[in-house]
Amino acid sequence: MSLQLARVLPLEGIRVIDMSWMWAGPYCSLQLAHLGAEVIRIETNQRPCMNRRVPPYPDGVPGLNRGGSFNQWNQGKGSVLLDMKKPEAVGLARELIAKSDVFIENYAAGVIDRLGLGYDVLSGLNPRLVMVSLSGYGLTGPYRHRVAFGTPLTMISGLGSLSGYIGRGPSEVGISYGDPNGGLHGAFALLAALWKREETGRGQYIDVSQWESLVAILPEGVLPYTMRGEQPERMGNRDFFMAPHGIYRALGDDRWISIAVRDDREWQRFARIIGGGLAEDGRFTKQADRKANEDAVEGIVEGWTSQRDEWLVAEQLQAAGIAAVPVMDMRDVAEDQHMNERGFFVRLEHPEVGRQKHAGIPWKLSETTLTVRRAAPCMGEDNEYVIKELLGRSEEEYQRLLDEQVL
Amino acid sequence: MATDQALAGLRVVECGGMVSAAYAAKLMADLGAEVVKVEPGSGDASRRRGPFPRGHDDDPEASGLFLYLNANKKGVTLDPGRAQDRETLLELLADADVFIHNLSIDEATGAGIDYASIHERLPSLVYTWVTPFGLSGPHARWQAENISVAAAGGWASVTPGNSLLADEPPLVAFGRQADFQAAAHAAVVTMGALFARKRTGRGQLVEVSAQECIAAALELALVNFTYTGAVASRLGIRTSAPMEIMECKDGLIFVMTADPHQWDAFVHMMGDPEWASWEIFDDRFKRGENRDALRPLIEDWLMAHTVQEVFDMAGEARLPFAPVSDVGDLVNSPHLKARGFFVRARHPVAGGVTMPGAPYVLSETPWSLRSPAPLLGQHNDEVLGRFRKKVGV
Repeated sequence: MSLQLARVLPLEGIRVIDMSWMWAGPYCSLQLAHLGAEVIRIETNQRPCMNRRVPPYPDGVPGLNRGGSFNQWNQGKGSVLLDMKKPEAVGLARELIAKSDVFIENYAAGVIDRLGLGYDVLSGLNPRLVMVSLSGYGLTGPYRHRVAFGTPLTMISGLGSLSGYIGRGPSEVGISYGDPNGGLHGAFALLAALWKREETGRGQYIDVSQWESLVAILPEGVLPYTMRGEQPERMGNRDFFMAPHGIYRALGDDRWISIAVRDDREWQRFARIIGGGLAEDGRFTKQADRKANEDAVEGIVEGWTSQRDEWLVAEQLQAAGIAAVPVMDMRDVAEDQHMNERGFFVRLEHPEVGRQKHAGIPWKLSETTLTVRRAAPCMGEDNEYVIKELLGRSEEEYQRLLDEQVL
Repeated sequence: MATDQALAGLRVVECGGMVSAAYAAKLMADLGAEVVKVEPGSGDASRRRGPFPRGHDDDPEASGLFLYLNANKKGVTLDPGRAQDRETLLELLADADVFIHNLSIDEATGAGIDYASIHERLPSLVYTWVTPFGLSGPHARWQAENISVAAAGGWASVTPGNSLLADEPPLVAFGRQADFQAAAHAAVVTMGALFARKRTGRGQLVEVSAQECIAAALELALVNFTYTGAVASRLGIRTSAPMEIMECKDGLIFVMTADPHQWDAFVHMMGDPEWASWEIFDDRFKRGENRDALRPLIEDWLMAHTVQEVFDMAGEARLPFAPVSDVGDLVNSPHLKARGFFVRARHPVAGGVTMPGAPYVLSETPWSLRSPAPLLGQHNDEVLGRFRKKVGV
């Protein structure tokens, strides 16, 4: 690897303007920042990103620049603060987008057009622009004006009714899953559009529906219905075929381990470790038999795991080639030796919260050491850079914009 | 037209067992990339997962999961563990831009198709390798299923959340979601490596850790710990209300008000009941503390309406409520119909199969379904024919 190669960031030279809110849009542009794009968030005082207004804050002291959530999803990005109620500010935003490669927004259909930042206007100024609208329901269809959040979207996608404990009701899935998933799908689509632009010289408009992005990853729920008219019953942590396949109690207070036995040979190895003649028990020899006697087999497994430390169980079963992994809580994740050794976590200096630990980049490239290049921005941290360097305004002009509170 | 698509001309070879590499390659195939799926002679594991159309139980040519993940791809059978097949695979890779797989470290190394072996011969190939734990670190060789990754990334520990069922274990969302998240991240970073190659002419190893993909998307939970030391749990009721599944006359709806103006809009929607002005419901945290009093009052009103009525009123009031759909509601949604979301593949064995379509609309280079998933080895002659002598058929 030459030194020159080591410096090539995949998206170096690509500028992304992100006017999105909450999590979906910021998660989309986070991927681009991770790949080396210059991402600048346009923010407004009237309506600071929801994530700037929610805890956690270090020491419990609130502050628009202190929220862990905002600081997680906006690592590596810049921020320009514009008073979008003023026409001059909208003009500056338009000018900035015209000088950029990608524009991301996630309002419901029609809102961005009313702001004067619709695709028709922007593509006239910059035909190379790739614009992404990351709405809950998409820009067409009867629900296009509805507002959406990630958790309700898991419900209307069917994921809620498919997930949950046996014999109980539909379930949430722990996170506002529609958001990051929609953001990721949006990131892929816009990279594909940038790829095409290399050939055609022209950008395009991408309508990403967070709802549809969720349904796209639910084939195991959708196809039983379309192929057989059936909806899978809620099965907790069980699998259609594998057994045992679940999360079982371990020794200690609320400690758990996941175990998946994938075939009969793995079962034999597992059963010999548990002992007590289990390997010879005819009720469990074949996968279909274990599935038919699942309550019994899970009872035996949990009887064994519940007397043991989950990490020792994992080590013992992994040594036998069985997929046993502790259920890692947030402390376990943050302190995980494996991910820490791999350099997954990031601690960058931030002017208001100091050096906090954040999840970093979940991939590695062999020819480029990708790193998060800066902590999340304070509101308007990059005003001067954007106005003077990118938009070429003089110091005087910059001061005027500050005085008149356009910035 | 395939040639108009965004990724037309991009050549991808995928050895993807089950979901994580296969969905990444599907995202590319659906936007026009030419993807060749390499399966072992015994067929991919997703051919045995179903669902199967009636009359085709356990038919590996008719498994729904396989048909969905591999539409728009060509299919060949090779067992890279055999020297001859490995050579054929290398010929195939010599013509490709991207190689993506999710083999284990031992499988790939054993077959001589690990990154070092391939890169030496094909320095311009982008080589994407998706594994549960990445290629380095003490757990790199750990075995994992989807459930293991959801556990290892921290997701299971906070799921379902908003729950009082202390005897129930941490939960995994339905449908191999950890695999799908690893896949979508892999597709994104693979595009990144292709952009890098445009400038350097060189390919590289793209290493995707599924565990880290999950740990990177834990919403508030992980920063809650790193910022304050609080360990989020699947248990315990939200401090803010209402934000939960509630019951209407004919089904369930997810009720959610976050900002004060949303609560006001909801109160108005319910006809401004007197109880809404009680001090115990003053703000979302007080409503959270007094959730046991609040919930029946809201449900009294909800039970006088259908889910669709409440959903429509909420839409008018700009509230983010959404029905708890079953799959039938979803497939028959008038909105998704209007957007033409579901598509129908015509497959020679399974017949017509309705499946999820485009998650996004690209104005100039649309998503498209061009061909059904391949039969096992369907394109051996067409794709491998050039190497026929070496294949030895």
